[in-house]
Amino acid sequence: MKSKACSKTYQGRCVLDVGEMTWQPGRIYVLIGANGSGKSTFAKILAGVLTSDQKTPVLPREVSVGYLPQRPYAFRMSLEKNLSIAAKDPARAEELIGALLLTEIRDKGGKSLSGGETARMALARVLMRPFDLLILDEPSAAMDMESTKRAEEVIRSYRDRTGAAVLLVTHSIGQARRLGDEVLFFREGHLRERGDCAVHLAEPETAELRAFLDFYG
Amino acid sequence: MQTALRRAIMLILSGDRELIDILLVTGRMSISSSLLALLLGVPLGILLGAGRFRGRNALIVLNRTLMGIPPVVCGLLFYMLFSGVGPFRHMKLLFTVRIMVLAQVVLITPIVIGNMENYISEVADPIRETTAGLGVGWPHALLLLVRESLYTICSTYLLAFSRSIAEVGAVSMVGGAIAWKTNVMTTAIMQYTNRGDFTLGVALGLILMTLSLVVNSMVTLLQRRISR
Repeated sequence: MKSKACSKTYQGRCVLDVGEMTWQPGRIYVLIGANGSGKSTFAKILAGVLTSDQKTPVLPREVSVGYLPQRPYAFRMSLEKNLSIAAKDPARAEELIGALLLTEIRDKGGKSLSGGETARMALARVLMRPFDLLILDEPSAAMDMESTKRAEEVIRSYRDRTGAAVLLVTHSIGQARRLGDEVLFFREGHLRERGDCAVHLAEPETAELRAFLDFYG
Repeated sequence: MQTALRRAIMLILSGDRELIDILLVTGRMSISSSLLALLLGVPLGILLGAGRFRGRNALIVLNRTLMGIPPVVCGLLFYMLFSGVGPFRHMKLLFTVRIMVLAQVVLITPIVIGNMENYISEVADPIRETTAGLGVGWPHALLLLVRESLYTICSTYLLAFSRSIAEVGAVSMVGGAIAWKTNVMTTAIMQYTNRGDFTLGVALGLILMTLSLVVNSMVTLLQRRISR
């Protein structure tokens, strides 16, 4: 599938300007870049929760898109009910509750979940149903090491099971290396480098990505 | 003071007819006006909090201004509209419980709208993003937003009821505090105190506080159930 070129301007300042992109089913794309590089803005536009300057959806209507925001909302209901918002599939819910270590907090209300618990619940919730494109904006930012490991496993297994294209926005170069098939590097609202993860994270083409990796990687 | 308090308790226990009538009128007026204000204010508060339309900020400022309208000014307005020289005199509503309810609704609805708007504007965007990301349609998303607001709706009702039951300026002007007809607890307390009859005043004060405690406790219990 293809996404159209899009841009976003806030108060006269262009924060995003990217061209047309192709997304292959079954591949995990990792989107990296410094704060303010336009990663989340791009993710939101792609997900359809933010309107681009062009005012038109960037993906065809028939493409189903799942999106996990950077700060997901936990509804004032039990964890199980939170999961059933996306799809009523008790077997799938059980599978995700076990995989993301949510068993002990399954009866907890949304408002009493900690930051890490909310992040795990929200990831489980968006993985409840199949999408053509799944966008995850820093899903493990609030998770500890064990939870991050579990989260990466379920993301990989979701991709394998559904054949969805996954776009993962992350600050962790380690996570990008572990999960990514392809890397997209954003700087100042522009896509500076794109290609095979193993190749580009080992041998960056641009000086900007090299400098970024020298600092974070 | 002690004697007045003892006599007040005796009056309550004896089931004084005038006292019961005041209580019934107060209950009718407070419950009707707070429920009507809730019915009007909650959808408007949700619209102002979650809506993205031209003129929204101006409406929020207007509502915040209306939240501070002095009750006597509201009473005066209704008095002028419904008195013998007013445009609505033919409706013959002045000095009835119905006009007291109307005046209270005008006073309380902006408070309900403001309270709801304040809460909804904080949660609307995260809920909108989350539900859109899950592929949930807008009717379901709206239902989730309303469900999420139940806790705030409860506390808003409490605020509306408290304001209604404790208000005196507007209801005394449009209701006239007529015994056996439009006299409510607050206007009766004023009347009896002015006459130097503290017994009924203290009795009504005690009941007012007790009612407030009962309603507060009930709503708090309801909120606990919702947040579970």
